[in-house]
Amino acid sequence: MVKTERMQAEEAEPAPGFAWLTGAAAWFFPGLGHILQGRLGRAALMGGAVWVCFFVGMAMGGHLFDLASEGSSALLQVPPMIANLGSGALYLVSWLLDYGFKDDPAQAARATYEYGNTFLLIAGLLNYLTMLDAFDIAAGRKP
Amino acid sequence: MTLFAVFASVVFGAMAKDTTQERLLYGLKVFAEFMVIGLVLGWILYFIP
Repeated sequence: MVKTERMQAEEAEPAPGFAWLTGAAAWFFPGLGHILQGRLGRAALMGGAVWVCFFVGMAMGGHLFDLASEGSSALLQVPPMIANLGSGALYLVSWLLDYGFKDDPAQAARATYEYGNTFLLIAGLLNYLTMLDAFDIAAGRKP
Repeated sequence: MTLFAVFASVVFGAMAKDTTQERLLYGLKVFAEFMVIGLVLGWILYFIP
């Protein structure tokens, strides 16, 4: 199907409620969106990559971002926070446990600190892609 | 960097294309691109004070 035909088909058929539910589940629990559709291999690959990426980032001493800073620097926290928020429940549980959010100089001095930050950011961003993939499959836009 | 390239290429490869073979090839291509670009940039930045 060429792109214009596909776009017309998408316009004609709005995404069903199940697709939105699947997208939300995929965001909240990495891999769950594909599991709900019985695509276990895809869930293991894509969701697994997000989980491992997140825990590797944590093990490296990475820092999670929130809006705790005051003044203009709080604005600078927004983009990385959006990336971190992509990890869904992993981010929320860490936030509830206050794990990984502290500005600890000893943690920041670790050689792997920046690598950990990057892994945590990438985990969230990869989960956004995973979520969109699960949504597209559920909406019938992708085989 | 290798670990990062693995995770990113797994997700990119799983998302793209239609057949398993195409996905595998695309994933390997993305992995190779991450590695080559990372190494090239690393050496360029090494010589920049």
